[in-house]
Amino acid sequence: MTAINNECPYISKNKINFTFDGKNLPAYEGDTIASALLRNNIRLVGRSFKYHRPRGIYTCGIEEPNALVQILSEHNEPNTRATIKRVYDGMEISSQNRWPSLKFDLGAINNILSPIFSAGFYYKTFMGPKGFWKNIYEPLIRKSAGLGKPPKNFRSKSIHQYHNTDIVIIGGGLSGLITARKFVNTKYKVLLIEQDSFLGGILKNSNKVDSINGISPLEWIKETEELLSDSKNITILKNTLVTTYNFTNHLVALEDKYSGRKIDLKKSELTLHKIRTSLTILSNGHIERFISFRNNDLPGVMLASSFEKYIHRYGVIPESKPVIFTNNSSTFSLLKSMTSLGYKPEAYIDSRKKDEIETEIKKFLKNNNITSYFDSEVEGCDGNKKVEKITIRNGKNYFKLNSSMLCVSGGFNPDIHLFTQSKGLVKWDKLIASFKPDTSFQRTLTLGSVSGNYNFKKLCDEINQKLSFLKTKKANLEIKCNVTNKFSLRELWETKKKKNSNWSKSFIDLHNDVTINDLKQAITEGFDRIEHLKRYTTNSMGTDQGKISSINSLALVSKLLKKEIAEVGTTTYRPPYAPLSFAAIAGRSTYEFYDPERKTSIHSWHLENNAVFEDVGQWKRPWYFKANNDETMHQAVQRESKMLRQGAGILDGSTLGKIEIKGRDALEFMNLMYTNAFTKMKPMTSRYALMLGEDGMIKDDGIICKISDQHFIATTTSSGAPKVLADMEEYLQTEWPHLQVYLNSITEQFSTFNISGPKTRDIMARVFPHIDFSNEAFPFMTFKNFDYQDTKIRIMRASFTGELGYEIYIPPKYGLELWEKIFSCGKVFNLIPYGTETMHLLRAEKGYIVVGQETDGTVTPLDLNYNWMIGKNKKDFIGKRSLSRPDTARNDRKQLVGLLPINQSDMIEEGQHIVEINKLPNKIKNPIKYLGHVSSSYHSPNLNKSIGLAMIKGGNNLLGQRFFVTVSGNTKNIPVEIVNPVFIDPENKRLTS
Amino acid sequence: MILIKCPYCGERDQSEFANGGEAHVVRPKNPESLSDKDWGEYVFYRNNPKGIFYERWVHSHGCKKWFNVVRNTSTDQILKVYKVNEKRPDLTEFENTLKSPSGEPSVGSGNFAVKK
Amino acid sequence: MSKIVSISGIQVTQKDFHQIIIRGNGSEKFNNIIEEKTSIKPPSINLEIKYDSNYLFGKNSPDQWSLILTGKKNHNQILNLVSSINVNEDLLASDYSYGQVYFEIHGENKDEFLNKLTHFDLREEKFPKGTMAQTILARVDCSIYNLGNKYLITCNKSFEDYFQKRFKDSANLN
Repeated sequence: MTAINNECPYISKNKINFTFDGKNLPAYEGDTIASALLRNNIRLVGRSFKYHRPRGIYTCGIEEPNALVQILSEHNEPNTRATIKRVYDGMEISSQNRWPSLKFDLGAINNILSPIFSAGFYYKTFMGPKGFWKNIYEPLIRKSAGLGKPPKNFRSKSIHQYHNTDIVIIGGGLSGLITARKFVNTKYKVLLIEQDSFLGGILKNSNKVDSINGISPLEWIKETEELLSDSKNITILKNTLVTTYNFTNHLVALEDKYSGRKIDLKKSELTLHKIRTSLTILSNGHIERFISFRNNDLPGVMLASSFEKYIHRYGVIPESKPVIFTNNSSTFSLLKSMTSLGYKPEAYIDSRKKDEIETEIKKFLKNNNITSYFDSEVEGCDGNKKVEKITIRNGKNYFKLNSSMLCVSGGFNPDIHLFTQSKGLVKWDKLIASFKPDTSFQRTLTLGSVSGNYNFKKLCDEINQKLSFLKTKKANLEIKCNVTNKFSLRELWETKKKKNSNWSKSFIDLHNDVTINDLKQAITEGFDRIEHLKRYTTNSMGTDQGKISSINSLALVSKLLKKEIAEVGTTTYRPPYAPLSFAAIAGRSTYEFYDPERKTSIHSWHLENNAVFEDVGQWKRPWYFKANNDETMHQAVQRESKMLRQGAGILDGSTLGKIEIKGRDALEFMNLMYTNAFTKMKPMTSRYALMLGEDGMIKDDGIICKISDQHFIATTTSSGAPKVLADMEEYLQTEWPHLQVYLNSITEQFSTFNISGPKTRDIMARVFPHIDFSNEAFPFMTFKNFDYQDTKIRIMRASFTGELGYEIYIPPKYGLELWEKIFSCGKVFNLIPYGTETMHLLRAEKGYIVVGQETDGTVTPLDLNYNWMIGKNKKDFIGKRSLSRPDTARNDRKQLVGLLPINQSDMIEEGQHIVEINKLPNKIKNPIKYLGHVSSSYHSPNLNKSIGLAMIKGGNNLLGQRFFVTVSGNTKNIPVEIVNPVFIDPENKRLTS
Repeated sequence: MILIKCPYCGERDQSEFANGGEAHVVRPKNPESLSDKDWGEYVFYRNNPKGIFYERWVHSHGCKKWFNVVRNTSTDQILKVYKVNEKRPDLTEFENTLKSPSGEPSVGSGNFAVKK
Repeated sequence: MSKIVSISGIQVTQKDFHQIIIRGNGSEKFNNIIEEKTSIKPPSINLEIKYDSNYLFGKNSPDQWSLILTGKKNHNQILNLVSSINVNEDLLASDYSYGQVYFEIHGENKDEFLNKLTHFDLREEKFPKGTMAQTILARVDCSIYNLGNKYLITCNKSFEDYFQKRFKDSANLN
């Protein structure tokens, strides 16, 4: 058993070194891990998923079910296909799913226990007793089954690239290249996508084509690539795999920019291409399938076309004397490849009857003196962690051959994965015994072998005919082949097993260790629908998606069910075609770009003054300001709250939503949108207002400024702003188009400062010496415009803290300067900046609600006792009708109340339940009566005790009563008294004087 | 992500739009005159058919205009786009388009990717 | 003007402009009022833009226009213009001057560069010179104006830092 290096134009002569399981090995630049391992005569590369059976390299591409490895030198990247990933100097690789070592794996005991691991094993076995799944079964399964280990934490630099194009050609093989040539220097914008680092497909992977227009395939690939590269309308993407084909011709493709090179951590290694095209041309070829026989998983069994690909694409003959086992004419080119290089297979086994086999093949076998067996098949193979002996059945006779490799071909499947993702219909083709595309659902064309055309001679005609509706050049090539013109095949899915032992298994899915017996058993148990069968047995559910075996399983199932394959149907092909990493999907939307960040014009000042930020929607808002590095959040909030009620505080309220509303019917519109009545409201005054949904539930709140009956400015909550504007637009466009009203968002046009506290008037008088802030000149809930430098500002008297307060609106350009001026004027009055947490504490002391904290989409204004805000005389407003629905009008709905702990040192938690019992039983057997929940809770520095707001069933009638609040991690509840929710200044003296 | 043709801005990616549910559900002119049941149906009940559906979309990240769409919910195919003030197209207009990618039955997804 | 990105094939600069958003019905009366106040006739075709070295006037949607004034101006001049338009009850004008940021994208690779951040179809036949579009860039709402040799992109000022970082990040990663 030995591999031989072969001359190859696609592999560099530069030698490199890599390690596999710690062993240093040589390779050539351009090798995949698989080709390099084969070059080093390493055939055992991993252990299987369930039974831990030894496995080797089965294929030479994306379809590989076995050879998955862990790349230690790339953040421990697991489950990498050795047949795709290229090696580079210094690469470190390890095998997966074995312990303690690949050659001696204790998990292989699963194979001996295999009778209990059959189909539906997990569903049947891990049923009870209670608690066993979490504590025993799951950890056990996680340890013994599975693939690689998770990667290390790292930040990928994957990027996204969008494309809008006319034509995408998927697959740069022979048909893809012929098609692309037709578009050279045309008006069409074309994207040609190839998963390999070289174009050419079958031309470079095999010996099947001898010459094109009299030149060698290699020369023709070079000529074509030059032609395409020079054409400005064509872009070629190599090392790029199309994983997804969505509706309206939207494709997703992953480009590996560091194929065969060590990743540079400073640079982007992957690009996820998101492509929108008018027409998709699928020329993505075919995938060879295997045949199930006893121990068809032993290292050394390989697909015949993969063997041929290693010779031509990677310049390594994996074995000089393999046995070839086929049921079709395609292996002819492998025979030719071997003999032209001076080697001869150990034997050629063809399951077809002698008269079915092409004369030229028979002649070739005879002339080259190759041992051949017709109408024969491989019964199975045996060996210690590798193929050693192969048992052949010829009629009733059995005999053994000695070889370390067995090349298998069970025929070819058009690679319909992407076509079916596009929702196209496929049809069974008896000649090739496979599904091929039939009816496209989108603007999709299939060309070449993916369309079921295996005849190179007819390729140009097919392409010209299918593309005749476009203005392109005619393709006219003379293709000389090394294969028979007519593809012929004899259906063969499994061979009869003679030998029975625990070790002897015929696999249908190598990746997930599903055997033919598992399929049979599942059908016996009643899982006769293909989608059920797949899930019950996990057949074709591995990361390879059963690329070399799923059609085989359909054929076997149809035989067992005695149905036509078309009747059994296929399982649904879903994206992705092959695994792609989350890093690629996330792109740059991680860490600081996880969500776009919005900052106010005062942000830099907040940073300099030790603000700790809170995310409100996308906004960064100061949560609290640290007076010194040691100050805790609790200390800061207590300090800020106390100082504001003694002196003054200022909050950056720029994030509040602001909407300008103007038009002839603005008043009517506002009366319809909000619960409040605006008709009698005087110009240049403002009002606290509520907006409901049609279900009567509170959606948003804010202050409405009335400039005139035709002109309003509405403020909204910071996170509710986009939704409120969108809702207003929606009603104007769809329900009330007769109303002449226009809206503009002006959130960003103003920096907004909320200044409040008993000393506020003094500070404002110093900042704006020309403005009269007296109570008479500037009463509560009024606003005025003033000239300021070369701009204008608006000042409104309003407050969310319960103290005297003003809101200043100024264009952002002037914001920071004014903010600093206010601080220089406010210094003597102990003016402090405060954040959202102090704002929340202060408003809770005053009994003001926060939308989203007291309300949760199930709270009406009536539940908050906000009846005074409802314009009862208005005929209609959004949600009005719902307020009189029986459920909304109930007396025992959850209503807003205040909570005071009986014991002043008790601190209640937000979100806890309010119950009638002082202690929860240790084991809760019967449901405990639930009265409501705590919506807000703070320690009030101004009252020097803890206070809370709660939503309690029938709360209005419970004032003065005692209940209990549950505690997390404790069964002892906190006794509380139900009180009025306004704790400070219930007469509003501070606000209005 | 499908492609949607905004009647004002032209074809744009679905990510620029938001779906607004069933179209042609008109807000009652006099809500107070409606019974609780009728009002409840207006607020809470919408159709959700498999197949042809008249629905509302808004170009929320573009021109912010609402419009109506006739879409086959089992294929995602958009059969017609029209402005809110335009007449509801008759169902017969779409008779010949009534198809799903795999000829699925009206109920359940089934498994019919294979042509019969 | 400040340079955000300057590499081969891509230049991103940031500029200070004044901007007014106007809502109205596009009638003759509307056109006359706007022309009288601004001395510019508003574009009448949806998504069309008119521009010269002093201004850029785009029709954003059937009932919205955006007027960008590129020359240096006193803010009160702009506010007075806004008020004078707002005298008419059929129109709404709002000053957007300091609530927006303005980026110009130049260079031969500008399309590929922007298509790292947006799905928007920048091909000439879909997005011709002299038109504008409202779309999403780096997951943020924005407006793009195609001025032939360059694009002008405007977005909310609160995203200024984020946008600058995304532009630099995209230019640095290929």
